[in-house]
Formats: sequence, C-alpha cells, structure tokens
Amino acid sequence: MFKEGTVNMKADIKVSEEIIRNRLSQMIINEMCKKKEFKIPIHLALGHESIAVAVSAVMEEDDRLVLTHRNIHYNLARNPCFKAEIDEYLLKSEGLAGGRLGAMNLANERRGIVYTSSILGNNLSVAAGMALGKKVKEEDGIVIVVTGDGAMEEGAFYEGVTFLKTCNLNAIVIVENNEWSLATRIQERRCPIHLDRFASSLDVDYVLLTGNDVYAYITALKQARREAIERNAPVIIEVKLRTLGDWRLKTEEYPDGKFINYHAGASPSIEVSEWPLIREDDSDPVFVLSRYFEIGQLRNISCDMLNRLTGEIQ
Amino acid sequence: MKYVQHINELIRTTIDNSNPIVLYGQNISAGSCISGLTRGLKNGEKRLVINTPNIESTQVGIGFGLMLSGVSSVFFMKQQDFLLLGIDHLVNTYNFVRINEPSASFTIVPVVVDSGYEGIQSSLNNFSDFCSIARIAGYAITNRHDADHIVRTHLVSPGFRIIGVSQRLFQTEILSCENDPTVYNNGEIFQYYEGADITIVCFNFSFPQGMKLREELATLGLSSSLFSVNVMTPIDWLHILRDVSRTKKLIVIDDSKSVNRSCYHLTTEVYRECSIDRVLTLTRDVTDECLRPCSEEFSIDTNSIMKTLRQ
Ligand SMILES: Cc1ncc(C[n+]2csc(CCOP(=O)(O)OP(=O)(O)O)c2C)c(N)n1
Ligand SMILES: [Mg+2]
Repeated sequence: MFKEGTVNMKADIKVSEEIIRNRLSQMIINEMCKKKEFKIPIHLALGHESIAVAVSAVMEEDDRLVLTHRNIHYNLARNPCFKAEIDEYLLKSEGLAGGRLGAMNLANERRGIVYTSSILGNNLSVAAGMALGKKVKEEDGIVIVVTGDGAMEEGAFYEGVTFLKTCNLNAIVIVENNEWSLATRIQERRCPIHLDRFASSLDVDYVLLTGNDVYAYITALKQARREAIERNAPVIIEVKLRTLGDWRLKTEEYPDGKFINYHAGASPSIEVSEWPLIREDDSDPVFVLSRYFEIGQLRNISCDMLNRLTGEIQ
Repeated sequence: MKYVQHINELIRTTIDNSNPIVLYGQNISAGSCISGLTRGLKNGEKRLVINTPNIESTQVGIGFGLMLSGVSSVFFMKQQDFLLLGIDHLVNTYNFVRINEPSASFTIVPVVVDSGYEGIQSSLNNFSDFCSIARIAGYAITNRHDADHIVRTHLVSPGFRIIGVSQRLFQTEILSCENDPTVYNNGEIFQYYEGADITIVCFNFSFPQGMKLREELATLGLSSSLFSVNVMTPIDWLHILRDVSRTKKLIVIDDSKSVNRSCYHLTTEVYRECSIDRVLTLTRDVTDECLRPCSEEFSIDTNSIMKTLRQ
C-alpha cells in the first residue's frame, strides 16, 4: 500500500507507526494535563516527533542518549510501555523511574537514556564525560546529546563541544531549533548564532535537518553516526522544527488573539483524535508521512493505536 | 617533608592501585603541576592524564558523566575560587547521579587559596559552603595523619566528594603528632590528644592554630584535648560532646570566612547537650578589610584566651 510516486518505496511502515504512537501518546498526556492530573510540569514536544523517532531508530546497543527538559518524545520513542511513562508522571512507584524523576529529568538507563537535565546547557558537559568514559573503557557506540536553540546559548555548550573536539571524542550534538526559548523568539532575545559557522570554527562537522521527514532523518543520522565514529569527532546536527500547540489568547489589547507559543503544560488548541494531524504542512511530522503512505492506511493505524494506548492506561 | 610533597606522594601511590581512572585538570602535567600537587602523574594502562582546556563548569560535569559511565576520575583544580563556575553540577548533576548510588568514584581536589596577598578574587576559603549546598562529603587536609587517612580512604572510592588542600600550608613542613590520632566516623573527626582541662576543636584549615594553642596552653600548665573536624556537612558530634562534658571548657577555632561556619553546629550542640563553664569561639573578623590584597593571617592570641578563661 505504498503511495504512488513516493520518495522512497522501501519506507518501513513501522517507522510511521512510531511517529503516530509518539503523537497520540502526547495528545493523551495533553488531555490529562488539561484535567490537571499531574502535579509536575510537563513539556510536550508535539512537532518534534521525527527527530526523536529517527534517533531511536539509529541507536545501537551501546549508544547513550542524554536529554533535556523537553524529552518526552525521546522517552516515548525509546520506551514501548506507555503506562510506565504515565505512572512516572503521576509519581507512582510503578513509573518508569519509580516516580523519582518525574518529567523534566526522566531517564531510562535500560533503554540507553542515561541522563536528563532540566538545567540548560548542563547536559553537554555530562555527555562529554560519558564520551570520555567510552574512550577509556574502549567501549563501542556513541553518545547522543540533545539541546535546544535556547540551551545552546549557554557557555556550557561552547565548553562541551570544545572538549569533545579536543579529546577526539565521538558524539552527536543535536540542536532542536524551534526558534523559541520560553516566551521569546530568537530575534527577540539575541543576535543570530550561525551554528554552521560556529561548528566550522572548531573544525566540527555540521548537518542541517529540515522538513520533518523521519525517513530522511534516519538516513542522515546513520551517516552522521558512522562518520563521527570513524573520525573520532563530534558532529553538530541542527534540526529546524516547530513546536506545535500554540494558541491565540484574546484580550482587550488583542481582540484577534495574541499568539502564545507552546512551552509547557496543557495546550488548549490540541485535541486528541483518531487522526492526530495538527497542521497540513511540513511542520507536522504526521503530515509528512502522507508522502509515503495512503492516508487511509495511516488513519487505520492511528485508530488502532489510539485504542491500544487508551486501553493500556485504563 | 613539605605538605604538598607528602600529599603528592599519597596521591600517586593511591592512584597506582586504581584503574581505570581519568586524572584531569588544567596544567596538571605541565609547568609546575599545580605547585607540585600533581607532579609525576603519567598515562598508563587504563590511566588517562588530561591537561584540559579552561572549562571549569564542564570539567565538573565531565566527572559526573564519567561516573555515569562507570569510570572513576579525579579533577585537580588550581584554585577553589574557580569551582564557583561548576556549582550547577555540584548540586544539580550530583542530585541526579547520587540517587543510583554509583559504583565509580569522582573526587575534586581544589587548592584553597588562603595564602594571602592573592587579591579579592583568590581568597575563597569557605570549603564548607561548597559542601553544604548539596550535602557533599568534603574533607580538608591539614596534617600528615589526616592526609594519610583521607587520601587513602576517600580519593578513589565509590561516590563523590571534594578534598580540599590549603595553599598556605603547601611549602610548610607537614605537621604531625607523636601518636596516631583516633579517627572517628571514617575520617570526619580526628582526635589527636586527650587532656583534662580544655577541649580544643579545629575547623576548616585551622589545625595548625589549634596545635600551637594546645602547646602554648601546656606551657601554662593547662592540658587540652585536641580535635579536628575535617568534614563539612553535619556530623555526629558524640565524641566531642563526651570530651566537653568532662573538661567543661570548649575552644573552637574556625578560619573560614563564611557566615555559615561549621563550628556553629558544634557550639549549638554543646549548649544543648552539655553543662559547660565556658565556650570560646575563635573566628576571623570578616570585614571589608578582606576586600583588598592582605595577609589573610589568622592568628590566635593565647594570652587573651588565658585572660578570658581565668575570668
Ligand atoms: C540554566 C537555565 N536557565 C534558564 C532555564 C529556564 N528555561 C527552561 S526551558 C527554557 C527554554 C529553553 O529553550 P530551548 O533550549 O530552545 O528549549 P525549548 O524549550 O525551546 O525546547 C528556559 C529558558 C533553565 N531551565 N536553565
Ligand atoms: Mg527552543
């Protein structure tokens, strides 16, 4: 049931299923956030699913993933048990981390997520230490560390990449660039930082990913991973994406509604549905799947998935 | 033997028995090797010695990253003031790492620059402040006995700690007593002497002042017990309280410039638990005078202590 004229006729439907699972899981969590079922802050990553699913798909046994406050998409991608994730957010002892880590620090060592920090920039240094640890132990695999366009402003980002390069450590540094840091856009808060030029100033390779095509991302990540390991060097991957779930707030000053960027908590503009499309353009990873498969097929998968997920947590 | 030489030898022998291990810091195997502290550290089988870039915050994070990978490390630091740049990791990263009781060791060895005349940005001597922010185990090295115990027991052992060394003492002959001290609570408290009249308890790096005071009081016919508290986080005071209950006179000496001095924990306990004749708390006057290059001398006037005791 491949769509005619698709980009890649060998696209694995399981990858698309994973995007849909990630999306629906987040939508269900969003509904629970609306009902204030969680005491802890949760940062949804609607619109970030492609990079997370791609990272999970290329990770090998010895790879290590290091995350940041917005980690739900990676945790969902790495962890097939939805209930364990929900239980963690509910701080139950059956949760993924026994209810001890909550959302902003959620790690899952058994599935390679070894450290997650809610302090911007902090995880770069820890990832650098882990990459060094791999070298000392002559262990296979690579350290993948995720950060944001806001977190990379921290000095720790500069220090971390410098150290990785200096010590010939292989690592993938993923910058999820959604152009926002909380309530400010890049232009509102800083001068541009040209990551490509920054990388080349340190003799570090740079890859730009845009368009949310999970299949293309998997190919690019596999290549970056291989090259980083061959060269014993870090690579910076900038992923341009849009965090979905924004809404308009009507006030006297803004009768047409003021744009509110989604940062954390419930998004009032998102509803869970059997077909979890949010936007009909490339900013939505679910939309991009329709380039590979018939909508009907994807809808069927999604419908079954929604039943499965809601059943799992009942 | 000089204080720094003794500690350097201890470090080298302890590390020889610990593999794999990463030893890192700025200029640790170059130039003066942190005034001799890290002299002679060599790469070896499963031992990596790294002169790192100047990235203190990241250096602290790296130790925790290594720990999470099961690799032990020691981060040597020329100046404790620079550790301020790594505080985020001391608290936040450590809080993540510690919940799984790591099997690897991570130790930071900063030089506490208390030698004077180094200026206002090279004078932070409040070792305990670093430790208290996240209940970090911290050990101050002040003499041959505590050096032997602390380095051998704690330099490489599961978990995280800070071991501070005093720059003021670097080129002095390392102090030692006739007899080995009694070590309480795995190196938290050392008791060097037992006396009938007074209990002297030294905090932070003030053991030399305590030694001197004990000797001077002895020439005046007073015999003192001498303790040194080498850790900075709240501890079990039982052994000191017992001694104070007997002597009924307590002198605490704390050279730290903090307002949250560790010695106050002890005095609070003493007032609560012991019937006592006199408590003397000898601390630095921390005034704006400290905000300029100065000697940072912390000396104790035995005569005025005697006067107070006689009153
Ligand atoms: C050191 C530090 N400073 C500030 C914050 C507050 N903070 C939390 S998330 C956030 C935005 C970060 O932006 P970015 O890294 O781009 O991630 P995004 O939320 O956009 O995914 C900020 C400023 C923090 N957590 N840590
Ligand atoms: Mg951002």
